[in-house]
Amino acid sequence: MNAQQNQALAARMEEEQIPETGPAYREPTDRIAAIKGDLFASPCSLCLERPILLQRFPKTAQGRLGKKDHPLVKRAKALAFLMSERQPRIYDNELIIGNMTSKRTAANYYPEGGSINILEDLFRLEKRQIPINLTFPEKIELVRVGLAGLFSSIGGRALLKPGRFVHFLDFFRAKRYFITEEAGIGHQVGGYYNVVHQGLQHPDQIAGTCLETNALPDGTPLNRDQVAFYQSIRITIRGIRTMATNLADLAEKMAYQPGMSDKRRQELLASADACRHVPYYPARTFLEGLQSCWIVHVAMNLEDFEQGMSFGRLDRILLPLYQKDLEQKSITRETATEIMASFQLKTCETLPVYSERIDQYFSGNGVAQGITIGGTDENGNDTTNELSGLILDAYAQIRTREPALHVRVHEKTPSWFLDNAVATVQLGCGKPSFFSDKAVVAALTQAGMSTEHARDFAVIGCVEMASQGRTYNSSDAALFNLPLCLELALNQGICYGRRHFGGRMGAMTRPVEQMQSFEDVADAFRIQVEHAVAEMVKVIGWLEETYRIWRPTPVNSMVTEGCLAKGRDVTWGGALYDLTSIQVAGLADAGDSLYAIKQLVFEQKRFTLKELLHILKTDYRDHPALQQELLHQFPRYGNGIPDIDRMTQLAADIFSDAIIAHRNSRGGRYIPGIYSMTCHIAFGRLTGALPNGRGSGKRLSNGLSPADGADRKGPTAVLRSAASLDSRKWANCCALNLKFDRKTVSGNAGRKALAGLFTTYFSQGGMQVQANVLDAEMLRAARNNPAEHPGIVVRVAGYCAYFHDLQPSVQDEIIERTAHGLG
Amino acid sequence: MASGNPKQEAAGLVFSIQHFCLQDGPGIRSLVFFKGCPLRCVWCQNPESWKPIPELGFKKHLCTNCRTCISVCPEGAIVSPGQIRSEKCRQCFACTDACPSGALIRFGKPLSVKEIREELMPEYPFYQNSGGGVTFSGGEPTLYPEFAAHLAGSLKRDGIHLAIETCGLFHADPDTLSASGTITKKDTAQTAHPETAGRLLTLADLVLFDIKLFHPEAHRQFCGTDNRMILDNLAMLARRYHQKGGPLIWPRMPVIPGITDTPENLEGWGSLLAELRLNRLTLVPFHHLGEAKREWLQLEPGPCIHTLTGESMEKTLRVLTKIGISCFAPGEEDWPEYISS
Repeated sequence: MNAQQNQALAARMEEEQIPETGPAYREPTDRIAAIKGDLFASPCSLCLERPILLQRFPKTAQGRLGKKDHPLVKRAKALAFLMSERQPRIYDNELIIGNMTSKRTAANYYPEGGSINILEDLFRLEKRQIPINLTFPEKIELVRVGLAGLFSSIGGRALLKPGRFVHFLDFFRAKRYFITEEAGIGHQVGGYYNVVHQGLQHPDQIAGTCLETNALPDGTPLNRDQVAFYQSIRITIRGIRTMATNLADLAEKMAYQPGMSDKRRQELLASADACRHVPYYPARTFLEGLQSCWIVHVAMNLEDFEQGMSFGRLDRILLPLYQKDLEQKSITRETATEIMASFQLKTCETLPVYSERIDQYFSGNGVAQGITIGGTDENGNDTTNELSGLILDAYAQIRTREPALHVRVHEKTPSWFLDNAVATVQLGCGKPSFFSDKAVVAALTQAGMSTEHARDFAVIGCVEMASQGRTYNSSDAALFNLPLCLELALNQGICYGRRHFGGRMGAMTRPVEQMQSFEDVADAFRIQVEHAVAEMVKVIGWLEETYRIWRPTPVNSMVTEGCLAKGRDVTWGGALYDLTSIQVAGLADAGDSLYAIKQLVFEQKRFTLKELLHILKTDYRDHPALQQELLHQFPRYGNGIPDIDRMTQLAADIFSDAIIAHRNSRGGRYIPGIYSMTCHIAFGRLTGALPNGRGSGKRLSNGLSPADGADRKGPTAVLRSAASLDSRKWANCCALNLKFDRKTVSGNAGRKALAGLFTTYFSQGGMQVQANVLDAEMLRAARNNPAEHPGIVVRVAGYCAYFHDLQPSVQDEIIERTAHGLG
Repeated sequence: MASGNPKQEAAGLVFSIQHFCLQDGPGIRSLVFFKGCPLRCVWCQNPESWKPIPELGFKKHLCTNCRTCISVCPEGAIVSPGQIRSEKCRQCFACTDACPSGALIRFGKPLSVKEIREELMPEYPFYQNSGGGVTFSGGEPTLYPEFAAHLAGSLKRDGIHLAIETCGLFHADPDTLSASGTITKKDTAQTAHPETAGRLLTLADLVLFDIKLFHPEAHRQFCGTDNRMILDNLAMLARRYHQKGGPLIWPRMPVIPGITDTPENLEGWGSLLAELRLNRLTLVPFHHLGEAKREWLQLEPGPCIHTLTGESMEKTLRVLTKIGISCFAPGEEDWPEYISS
């Protein structure tokens, strides 16, 4: 049997034609090291070019003339002005050009979005955890720009209206939910296949024809809004072309500067040539393909905001160009990897701008520009190719915070690719994350997508879902605090502790004295969730209306299928698939808490519900032993115990059903996602004690992960629990984070073990997983701040223990062992 | 239980079952730690495995001083948290069951084959997708020959790859053992009956055979017993392996600074291994992780052993490589393809 297996393996290896990889491709070239060095040497800053140009536009002749324009046209003209007028910048060594902001590493400022919150940090910009460096005149300019945009932000326009004040407060306090959509919608995977292979001339021609014939492509006559829409497309495309031409001009100018080396001159001239051609015309080479994606990506960023703007399945999109170039011998695998690495480094120029207050919800300074690799075509055939590996190799050269890499795994994923992906995880950058085709496609089709389109899914940002180029998914519209709804359910809609301004926050559910069974508790919880979701949906609706008038997005619309056919902007419901997604924080805490209530009150009858409520209100002050018991001895989600996992399922279903019941104002569906960025920390601060032993103010569980310290049996048990949950309703996916000590999962054995872990999880129904491999420094941080790093897996031959079970001196020993690289 | 007639053995004393272990055989493995060991190696990382009886441990750093233990103890054996009068304790473990924070812990619980299999079964897919399986560790699994063979048989029927980690002391009658060193008959179990240990070993796919000190006197000094039987067993197993009649034998040596990594010891083992045609060896680097556990069990601290340095590790490697032994770090072995595929 073993011999047979070996033969089968050898045959498979031959059949698969394993592409080359290895250190030769994964070590940074001099160029890549130099670009990365420059990027890291430049301090984080804030760029005000965008708001200044946008504020200047209405005062220009063109702006004054267009005062009475349709909002879509007005917006397009302003954007085109911004794109044409901004200064092009080209940096040393780079092969893909096009500056994201006016500085090397900076955040764009979005006065119409949420950027104004940075003013909260005005007097300590340099002292922030992530310092922002601005000169004094720039600070003055920041204040001017900020104040000028004070009342024009989307949030302000939507909520500072009579009758909406209570919601404004709720929105600002961010207790039950945090609406991210106020800052911008972002989160898109444009149709880059068409951008690369057809060019923007395609939407331009469609818009031109529709305007000429005054009819939609299907022959229906245009109304006033549709005329404005097609005009907005043409105006914006002109703006993008000018932006590309400006870059080309600068590249040419630089090429002929005295002292320019011949080699660099050739590169600059190639870039100039590319930028005169793409993104308007179809890309002719691999380099042009990436250049085309990059320019459209910059335009998308300028238009909306930076979060979650993603590229989709670049391995699939670029393969024809790559193969053509290889055939013509104009590139080699090495040079292509270098171009890809240079492209990926461009994504590091962007960062988000949050005040430190908001940063509690979204810390990490990431914007998550996602690249998805692997997976299948519309018919379910594997599409993993040489570029899938090349993209990983390029990332191994740079190892930076951006871009986000996502690997699609299915039954026929070639083992060389999984091996390469896991080897990339071992680098310790938390990338790539892994997605199961089977689970994701099942959830997307359940949400109304055709199987063919679902199979062409790409990841938006961190984990969210799109059928690339066909979806408008406001995929990070809001985050939801699920455990708080349990607090409200036990306390008639009122938070524990300090009284909420205006009294009752949630629904008026019955007092605990009248709850006779566990089902009564679950019902009250369900009512509170539904109440909070309804309120949240109302506010999101107001934002959506405001977006339609003040912030339509023509660039997004030209790369999203459906808009050009319907003559409608994405914000007007133009996309083929329109979705709004709400994410949940504290799922495991909610599930464990429901289980604890059921056990303590209704089965073991150790307390009445009223007594338990009192214990929670007083944060276990008089019951420390009970709290310890709940935390350490009570069964919890994450240990592969079906009874407890069922409670997490119940909590997830209550949330999902409440979300799915709604439609957004564009007519699209609401879908749930199970992830929480860092919102679980901020929400935790605002949430009282929970029946699972979690103390008041402590952080909540994140995504699909077990509550802090609840996973007592290691990663396989966590994965068993997670895989046992039904993910078919989670069309916006989920996030499950595992943390390993680097030494434990190093080498071939570690790689094989991680691959085995992930494939088993997926074969059992798991949806998404990502692994962080921690080095000695990170382990030290974990020792110093255990609450921030629960569940780290450490293994020593013949000995094993959870890191946090050990006393600090032993933790030190483990860390030193890691530092020395010994067994 | 272990002592007494092996025929009545219904349960094995196990102090832990740990999943996702990567360094004790190929792939993702679960380790079943049996309690009870005939050796008393001074560097032991699992001293809770020594006695073949359930024991009480106290993790001081987890204690919240709630005094629940004092109130539940029927014998009044607990004076204050962590202070237990062992002469009064009847090992009812009411205190560990009641301890809310997990500071008081019970080491060792008799588990049936069914119970262990139920704990392992959900992990099977992880073994299968990674070329892993189950490793019996300890303690010394051969102390429960009948039970372990029974468990091994049921795992083999499920198609699970099985490794046994042994100290090598599993043949011979109890008298030899009690006469051989510092261990009294009271706290050691009987060593295995030759036939039944043989059956257990035939069921294994892999035997991780711990080798420590080559010189019998040194072995007696640091591990508490004579090593003649260990040497004989190693030779016997190697012979059976080469005759294709037994499991793969893979020796492992803990590298204990100044104790096992002396040139004489390394050369002694090296030439024996070469002679037995076992030319692969896993070197398990010493660490101090066992010391904390001694505190939990209120044992005397072990002797002061220096931290292993990179240089001395390199020296060890040089000596062994020269003899022709390929050395591996735990988890990095080049297992034969038929095991890991």
